[in-house]
Amino acid sequence: MNTESVKHFFRKDFNGWWLVSLIGAAIILLPILFIFFSIFQEPNENWFQIREYLLKTYAANSIILVVLTGLFTAILGVSLAWLVAAYDFPLRRFFSWGLILPLAIPPYIAAYTYRTMLSYTGVVQVTLRNKFDYQINPEWLSISSLRGAVFIFTIFLFPYVYIICRAFLENQSSSFLENARLLGRKPFSIFVRIVLPLSRPAIVAGAVLVIYEVLSDYGVTSYFGIHTITTAIFQTWFGMYDADSAMRLAAWLMVIIVGLFFIEKLLRQGRRYNISSKSRPLVRKKLKGLQAAAVFSYCSAIFLLGFFIPVVQLLAWTRLTFAEVWNDTFFTLLNQTVFVGMISTVLILLFAVIIANVTRSHSNGAYVLSKLATAGYSIPGAIIAIGILALFIELDSLLAPFYAYMGWGKAPLILSLSLAMLVIGYTIRFMATGYNAVEIGFEKIGPKYTEASRMLGFGVTKTFFKVDLPLIKGALFSGFILTFVEIIKELPLALLLRPFNFDTLATKTYQYAKDEMIHEAAIPSLMIILISVLSVAVFQMIDKKVKK
Amino acid sequence: MNILTIQNLTFSFPKARVPVIENFSFRVDEGEIVGILGQSGSGKSTLLRLISGLEIPRSGRIEIAGTESAGEKTFVQPEDRGVGMVFQDYALFPHMSVKDNLLFGLSRLPRKERYPRVREMLELVQMTDYEKRYPHELSGGQQQRIALARALAPKPKLLLMDEPFSNLDANLKGSIRDELLMILKKANMTCIMVTHDKEDVEAICGRSIVFGKAEGRPSEAPGKESKLTFVR
Repeated sequence: MNTESVKHFFRKDFNGWWLVSLIGAAIILLPILFIFFSIFQEPNENWFQIREYLLKTYAANSIILVVLTGLFTAILGVSLAWLVAAYDFPLRRFFSWGLILPLAIPPYIAAYTYRTMLSYTGVVQVTLRNKFDYQINPEWLSISSLRGAVFIFTIFLFPYVYIICRAFLENQSSSFLENARLLGRKPFSIFVRIVLPLSRPAIVAGAVLVIYEVLSDYGVTSYFGIHTITTAIFQTWFGMYDADSAMRLAAWLMVIIVGLFFIEKLLRQGRRYNISSKSRPLVRKKLKGLQAAAVFSYCSAIFLLGFFIPVVQLLAWTRLTFAEVWNDTFFTLLNQTVFVGMISTVLILLFAVIIANVTRSHSNGAYVLSKLATAGYSIPGAIIAIGILALFIELDSLLAPFYAYMGWGKAPLILSLSLAMLVIGYTIRFMATGYNAVEIGFEKIGPKYTEASRMLGFGVTKTFFKVDLPLIKGALFSGFILTFVEIIKELPLALLLRPFNFDTLATKTYQYAKDEMIHEAAIPSLMIILISVLSVAVFQMIDKKVKK
Repeated sequence: MNILTIQNLTFSFPKARVPVIENFSFRVDEGEIVGILGQSGSGKSTLLRLISGLEIPRSGRIEIAGTESAGEKTFVQPEDRGVGMVFQDYALFPHMSVKDNLLFGLSRLPRKERYPRVREMLELVQMTDYEKRYPHELSGGQQQRIALARALAPKPKLLLMDEPFSNLDANLKGSIRDELLMILKKANMTCIMVTHDKEDVEAICGRSIVFGKAEGRPSEAPGKESKLTFVR
């Protein structure tokens, strides 16, 4: 940008909306930059030890998890999406949304539920022992391993791939598939030659979301005792009290993620073509007999494993501990969770609306701004947390003279012990969820109403409140629900950034599970699942509206 | 010889009260080119989808080249009907070259005969130099020719065309119509063409029928000789 275009920008585009957007972007960017610059600082002794003995294993584990989970979720997601989109079989309509439900169960809850169920005293082994007098080799059921983690991630994260692929196949692929049939091809060859290659962008988009979740995970891996870069960040911080090395590890994780960014770009590239969109919805083929039974069994198995079995088990545990857990302490916990969730969600949507309103003008810098706003989603909670912690401690030391002047004592930690850290953490991490929802809302109404209002003599701000806001109400509502649910489910960020003695449903669940109080964890877990199912319902509602 | 016989065909979309097509009967002889005219929403594209097997009729019979394709108890899947179709947006597979697009429909031919057939078809539509191109590298008219070649390659008994000219520039239409007529005659192809443009029909089709939205069922085009029969 030369000076002329800068001048032009200030004359034409710059206003209060831009200013607030830039502040929002700075909040998001600052902690991330803080981490990046730690790479250039002199490393301490600890770091050499970590690099020498641990980093390789950590990185290897992270990469194995990412590759295997990515592969399996892709297979599961695209195959189920294809079956549900192209065929009719018993209970298809139920599976169509039922297969999204595993997403409502955070993987860390699934991890402790399955591990306990499969343990010596769990329902599987006990039933086999008592009812069938059969002693199964416990090795076969051991889930606390890399293998087990891949299983948990696959079963509970595949809906990301499934949702995107299904939408694509149902709405945009029909003319190609019909053509392929008219050219005499059988279903399997159509799947391999047409469905897979055409869905590649959808598969990649879904798999990338899965991979971000896996890299960001702390709950499953730490519970199963698998060392990844993310668990290592926690260990160096809490175990060795070595903030510098934790930051350095976080920076390395960032490097992996930036690498992923490029791989994603590469995978989505290749032939650049638009897939024709003028097509009608796909007509489903009715399956009969053995084929219908096989497809039904496949869908049922995944639904049972991914939702029904863990929920029933949690309900059973709830009966055991209801009197003990369902009391005032629990309500306080619920209150705190909803309180911090609400504040963060409102803050996120506020920024999201302002930034989206700026970027929809497609003026200079709008693209960069929108990318910045959504950057947090690809960055693991642990990294964001470390960045914020470091930043806030720095801020506290900067503000020490001011604290002293106010008579709050010498160099106290005020900001870095406050709830503000957690709220800002959530804001950075989930800005993308709110922003995307609002952006879709703006895209749907297009610029014409706004332009009409401007021609009738209203400024940007008046127009926004009189015209835009009422029109994007629906998008705001869905954005609110989706963001709120993400916040309730989030674990690593809350673990690192919550103030002393402050618990959320997620941290309490994790605490119970870690202390082997599995039965007590059931109620907060179910509460999280219940709230998440709400978001699936909203998803479904939006989907129906779009189809109409 | 009769290539297509339709008797008392009725179809309605799920949840719709009024059927799109009701008690429709119709015959096409070998080598005929028949135009179907009508406004959008009158059910003309639906008729093509019923003939090709992409939709299932509520009642009535469809017979293609002497074989019952849809009836009270039979329903032949689209891949087994031997019907070719050129879609309105051509639906050329974007991830395959021109050659691979054509080869795609030739899986039932012995391996050795496949490629010669591709060459033969490309010669027919005068696109021999474009074998290695991808669909997005072709102009609208070229895409249409490839779509036509792909549909004709497996030697279908009947060719269906859904608004074949709607995506083309107006000034190209004339020459492409002539070309199409020539190709169809050369291949001695029986063809049903859906269009909303009377000029298309006059230029290419031997006869035509009109689907009217208001009446909800087809009627004969005035001034054209027709073998259309209505049972109603």
